[in-house]
Amino acid sequence: MKYCERNSGLSTVPVQIELDDSTVGALQNQILSEIQSESIDGIIIDVSMVDVIDSYISYVLSETARMARLMGCHTVMCGIKPSVALTMAQMGLRLTGIHYAQDLDHAIKILERIVGVGKQGA
Amino acid sequence: MRDINIENYDLSVKIKEENDIVIARQMVKNMVRKMGFTLSDVTKISTAVSELARNIYRYAGEGYILLRGKQEKDGKNVGVEIVAYDRGPGIEDLDSALRDGYTTTRNSFGLGLPGVRRLMDSFSIESERGSGTIVIVSKKRRAF
Ligand SMILES: Nc1ncnc2c1ncn2[C@@H]1O[C@H](COP(=O)(O)OP(=O)(O)OP(=O)(O)O)[C@@H](O)[C@H]1O
Ligand SMILES: [Mg+2]
Repeated sequence: MKYCERNSGLSTVPVQIELDDSTVGALQNQILSEIQSESIDGIIIDVSMVDVIDSYISYVLSETARMARLMGCHTVMCGIKPSVALTMAQMGLRLTGIHYAQDLDHAIKILERIVGVGKQGA
Repeated sequence: MRDINIENYDLSVKIKEENDIVIARQMVKNMVRKMGFTLSDVTKISTAVSELARNIYRYAGEGYILLRGKQEKDGKNVGVEIVAYDRGPGIEDLDSALRDGYTTTRNSFGLGLPGVRRLMDSFSIESERGSGTIVIVSKKRRAF
């Protein structure tokens, strides 16, 4: 039996264009089970293809981040479109417990800073 | 409650299943994009439709999303009117329902209706217990 070494436990989740209610629920389950089975310290949710983030989707993403945090994992959302960000701000949607990044590189930098994931041989 | 005649609209989407929420917002998105709305207004309108369609699905079980262009005298579209219409249970406390954070379900921010109100240029809501709910919103087409 081999011991699982905890290094660069980072997972990227690209989100498809049309997030419907059951997809967003399935996404949450997938993220949480991945954190558990693969000892992940950092999740990057890439929403660069998503056209609409409404209150329900926001709620589920925010709840996922809170649950992930309880499991010892940080969540970064990256690539949010300017029009989507504008719409969310105007609606008053605030996702708590989630970090924001411009793109994938930026997201990785943020996670490196917070938990040191992604640093090989550190 | 006023009568809504589906025939007076350019687009009508019946909301009955969860997937109809996505269909409604896609159809509205395509329509307002073709009408020449800016990308941020297309996003705002699609997001508003997503909220209204989800409310129909969640609280009334079924209903309609209707859309029509608002015409100027010279025949050009100058805006869009969207109606969310259902014959569900109605909203008991309208003032509360329009407040940020008010919700009767678990797992919700309670930002749907107040959010839609902020995203659109005009917003009106009519609801009667036992008869249903009609939300009418509109947005003008802007150059930027
Ligand atoms: N079509 C409707 N028929 C009956 N009740 C409704 C309808 N739409 C909204 N409501 C009531 O008004 C409340 C507020 O609606 P709103 O959309 O603002 O928030 P929500 O649906 O509870 O949460 P969110 O939209 O943030 O996920 C709802 O909780 C529900 O009780
Ligand atoms: Mg709602």
